[in-house]
Amino acid sequence: MTVETLERPVGAAADERPDRRRRGGVERAKARAGWLLLAPALLHSVIFIALPGLMAVYLSFTNARVAGQGTWIGLQNYVDLFADAQFLSALKRTLLYTIAVVPVAMALSLVVAVGLNQKIPGRALFRTLFYVPVVTSSVAVAAVWLWIYNPAAGLGNQVLSFFGLARSGWLTDPDVALPALMVVGVWQGLGAKMIIYLAALQSISPDLIEAATLDGASRWQTFWNVTWPGLAPVHFFVLVTSIASSFQVFDLVYVTTGGGPANATNVLTFDIFTNAFERLHIGYASAETVIMLVFVGILISLGRLSLRDREGL
Amino acid sequence: MSSVAPASRPAVGKVLLVVVLAAGGFLMIVPFLWMILTSFKSLNEVNSFSWLPDRIALMNYVDALRAAPFAMYFRNSLIVVVGQTIPVLLLSTAAGYALAQLPLRGSRGILTCFIILLIVPFQVLIVPLFLVVRRIPLAGGNDILGQGGTGWLNTWAALIVPFISAPLFTFLARQFFVSLPAELADAARVDGVSEIGIFVRIMAPLATPAFVTITLFNVESAWNGFIWPLVATSSESLRPLQFGLATFAQGQGSVQWPFLMAMSALATLPMILLFVFGQRYFIAGMATSGIKG
Repeated sequence: MTVETLERPVGAAADERPDRRRRGGVERAKARAGWLLLAPALLHSVIFIALPGLMAVYLSFTNARVAGQGTWIGLQNYVDLFADAQFLSALKRTLLYTIAVVPVAMALSLVVAVGLNQKIPGRALFRTLFYVPVVTSSVAVAAVWLWIYNPAAGLGNQVLSFFGLARSGWLTDPDVALPALMVVGVWQGLGAKMIIYLAALQSISPDLIEAATLDGASRWQTFWNVTWPGLAPVHFFVLVTSIASSFQVFDLVYVTTGGGPANATNVLTFDIFTNAFERLHIGYASAETVIMLVFVGILISLGRLSLRDREGL
Repeated sequence: MSSVAPASRPAVGKVLLVVVLAAGGFLMIVPFLWMILTSFKSLNEVNSFSWLPDRIALMNYVDALRAAPFAMYFRNSLIVVVGQTIPVLLLSTAAGYALAQLPLRGSRGILTCFIILLIVPFQVLIVPLFLVVRRIPLAGGNDILGQGGTGWLNTWAALIVPFISAPLFTFLARQFFVSLPAELADAARVDGVSEIGIFVRIMAPLATPAFVTITLFNVESAWNGFIWPLVATSSESLRPLQFGLATFAQGQGSVQWPFLMAMSALATLPMILLFVFGQRYFIAGMATSGIKG
């Protein structure tokens, strides 16, 4: 492999020969070592991420099944998908879940972050309390909420009757199941958004806040005129990453409801899973995957673009 | 009087704020509290609602480990965590260092590719990754073209090898190494240290926080992973803790809640402790990558 060194200094020609040779040797050694260090991870990502990613796109144009090769059927899977009531309702449900969970979780996490940005006792403890659901496994979280939503002896119905409300069937009631999972989604996602907001709030210059206060602005005015505009790129980032992760909810549904009752919680990833590994329609499931990839990919790249300046990429 | 008011008003606001945050924090951990309380109850105590257990049945933890092969599930999760994390540390940090500090042709383009791969949600990869793993040549009865057998499906390799490096960690490591001064490496070069030696002995030790962050993130995701083991394995002896929990939770009709809560407690506790002790690394990693949530 011949790897040329990067830009040679303009004055290089004036250097004496041995020195130049030595420098060229060092540069070559650096490049060689660089490729050696980079190659394993690069190769690995090509085989286990890039290749499957491209395969998903290719498979979506075939009628592949788990066993045996599929044949090219063009856009047929996509045509079928948009006439498939189960897929369309799964897509609609995923959108509904996202529209309900994301704004509520964002608003709550911002309020908590602003609170934790004040000088109050026990900040670290509070931060931990709000963040703990993020680091716990979604299967364990699902198991605990399954027990909370247990119609006979769960905490959920106890809370309802404490407020004098009628008991609920929770996850066994088709009208309640999806909203019940939304509550879990908000609860589990709050901490991650809060941490991002908190980091952003701490990067807003205290001088600006002080200047506003000296000018006689109330706390409320200071928040809306100084803090809120300063958060603009972060709002966008939190928004798109939250949408992307709402689109991917799976473990929770799999453990608590298995998509039921009466398909009431059959979200997009669950539908993909069922089509791929139960009906074994790999091609069809791949088309669903590509639709999800388009949605999520656009959102996340927008989010990263919005943070580009901050990260100095 | 008027001199007291300005001082006391913020104090009242602060007390109020602490009260509100405490209430919110309590709501966040109530599910965990109830999990722990339930895990100490006897099996027939959970037929109706109660907060506190009548008496603390510590034996639940032992009995639960016997009710399903949880001890084996724990062992399997540990194998996966260690098997993934050690190679991740080697491969991703080496690649991150190369991209940050060494003159590679097209390194910017490669970095962009890693960032694009980092965006691809894992959910999208599951189906084709299943096919890739099944088609690994010369494994599990496959021929050189990857046909005829089951490849790595239902082996440790399927659970570990697809995750021994990750674009996210390469990116995190690169972001960290970029900020280290190149002069350190130059000084070592003058002393005749090899390029690999410079990475291993000089730059890597300086990047300890990056290594810790990557370790914590990867241990967490390997320990909590569920959908991939569900898809890629079928034999009980390979299945990790999260899978065991899921199966136990779905036990039709008669879920043994105290046992399930005891196992959930054991499954969540290590990650909570890890977070409590590694908070600042988790938060630094989150701030750079913006993943999760």
